[in-house]
Amino acid sequence: MHKIQSFPEYQVPGAQHQDFSPYESNGGSIVAIAGEDYVVIAADTRLSSGYTIHTRKQNKLFQLSEKTVLGSTGCWCDTLALTSLVNARMQMYEHLHLKTMSTEAVAQMLSILMYNRRFFPYYVSNVLAGLDSEGKGVVYSYDPIGHCERTTYRAGGSAGTLLQPVLDNQIGGKDRDVKNKPKVPLEKAKEVAKDAFISAAERDIYTGDSVILKVITKDGITEEEVQLRKD
Amino acid sequence: MSIMAYNGGCLVAMRGKNCVAIATDHRFGIQAQTISTDFEKVFQVNPRTFLGLVGLQTDILTVHDRIMFRKKLYEDRENREMTPEPFSAMISNFLYEHRFGPYFIEPVIAGLHPKTLEPFICNMDLIGCPNKPDDFVVAGTCSEQLYGMCETLWKEDLEPAELSEVISQAIVSAFDRDAISGWGATVYIIEKDKITKKQIKTRMD
Amino acid sequence: MASERYSFSLTTFSPSGKLVQLEYALAAVAAGATSVGIVASDGVVIATENKYKSPLYEEHSVHRVEPITDHIGMVYSGLVPDYRPLLKRARKMAQQYFLVYKEPMPVSQLVQQVANVMQEYTQSGGVRPFGVSLLICGWNNGKPYLFQCDPTGAFFAWKATALGKNAQSCKTYMEKRFNLQSNNSVSQSLDDAVVDAMRTLKGGFEGVMTKDNIEVGICTEKGFRRLTPTEIDDHLSNAN
Repeated sequence: MHKIQSFPEYQVPGAQHQDFSPYESNGGSIVAIAGEDYVVIAADTRLSSGYTIHTRKQNKLFQLSEKTVLGSTGCWCDTLALTSLVNARMQMYEHLHLKTMSTEAVAQMLSILMYNRRFFPYYVSNVLAGLDSEGKGVVYSYDPIGHCERTTYRAGGSAGTLLQPVLDNQIGGKDRDVKNKPKVPLEKAKEVAKDAFISAAERDIYTGDSVILKVITKDGITEEEVQLRKD
Repeated sequence: MSIMAYNGGCLVAMRGKNCVAIATDHRFGIQAQTISTDFEKVFQVNPRTFLGLVGLQTDILTVHDRIMFRKKLYEDRENREMTPEPFSAMISNFLYEHRFGPYFIEPVIAGLHPKTLEPFICNMDLIGCPNKPDDFVVAGTCSEQLYGMCETLWKEDLEPAELSEVISQAIVSAFDRDAISGWGATVYIIEKDKITKKQIKTRMD
Repeated sequence: MASERYSFSLTTFSPSGKLVQLEYALAAVAAGATSVGIVASDGVVIATENKYKSPLYEEHSVHRVEPITDHIGMVYSGLVPDYRPLLKRARKMAQQYFLVYKEPMPVSQLVQQVANVMQEYTQSGGVRPFGVSLLICGWNNGKPYLFQCDPTGAFFAWKATALGKNAQSCKTYMEKRFNLQSNNSVSQSLDDAVVDAMRTLKGGFEGVMTKDNIEVGICTEKGFRRLTPTEIDDHLSNAN
């Protein structure tokens, strides 16, 4: 990085120099839980930077198709750029192949789109939730440069570190004396997701206001909103 | 990398109904390399008072020794047991004496007052700023994960058996998402007439 | 250097094993105005005479009974100028203790530390012992306490005691009263103790005892305070 200090002959008395910093963290958290025939994805609605709250009503869930929803947080402008690119590519796919992209295909494409920016990455935390081609719930999670992992549950975003062990414990059945992992019913998945956000809002200042919860089943997508603490 | 995360480790303490609990992991490592898996960071300082220290291992040992030195002098001088509150105040004072060259540790204190049996929990930063909430305190390299776990699992007036289950689940799930904490855990449940020490088997990777 | 000539302790043994400097200090105490203290079940009282030699003197401005903390107070017999630095030290110790332990200093701890200071002045170079004995009263762990601190560095816990000019006769008077009681105290209650302390002082009092020439401090569960002249007046009428 060339700082003006490196070139003292160009320094002007009284002039303030500002380095360009292209990234900003706008906060927000995502939780996604997949079951046998459903997937739940939830994200809070607070958009902030530093100690400032930009809005308390920002939906961070992007419905990409009838059975695929993307949750995206991090640098909000990168989220917008990325999701519009994803939407455009999905439209092109539809025109070319005369069918909607499957969740697996969207997951793979998202990985490639992000890796295309390997040396100037989208600063985003993505969690993709949907039903796969067999109708089973599935969750894909990503790092900022497009590494993709298929899982059954994931917490991401600013409170991701707080919530991931909660999901391990309540959904993953880790650390419990159970031989066979119990199947998680939809109602339990929804309750855990809501409780997780209530807890995250207690300790993470970038998570709060309200949480939007989307449930994807073969019958379509339902949405509900739960209020969180707003301080 | 932060010197506070050089050796890894974590602590959590919780308040229950007429009881308190404190838990520690067992790992002692040097950055990513695990050296031993039997290093407990919680020390019993009185019949119903426990002190936990996380951070730089050399400082854990030194601070423990120096705190015990001061505590023993107090108890001999005043001919009485040190209760958790002045014990915490003394640690806070000790740490602040080193304000500009601190010991790289964070203490957690848990105990019952020997006479009133009032539950007490407290933690501090490395320069001794005390925090005495009425639910739980956490410290160490997976403190964020612990906050998430405690915030969802803890509720008011837990009985000793429930508290034991909650704190065990909290620490194990938390440090399983931290590469430099874990390798076993110990939980102490402190009640009026009983101290229960429970060793928890966990995944060792 | 001149100061080096006095860098040894002035308090040195006489061939017979006495520390005469300390005996002189105790003599200074014995010559001082009388102070008394009485412990009752619900509190403790300390009282002293504060006589002025001229009618021009402004009373109720310079006090002999002084608070150290909210729950500890003290009075002395002996030399005023030696009392003030001890008072200052005692207050500082109590605050230092509170800062470290966030807990009020126990009376016994304060007395031990004050006694320590007084003892240091019997062995250090270039100094002389303090010319005062102290009565320190306080309330902690649900009980009243009364201590005496001597210039030698010795300290004692009392149910009731007296210092100064008429100490012996005061003590004899209080012992008699003690033997009449059956509650392990000189007095029935704190109010009685205030009156008893006044009566004890009165034994050797030269002239008329009024609200303006005695000082009284009481310490209860609520803490230590000096009685106002009006309150002293109320009790005086009972003492007569």
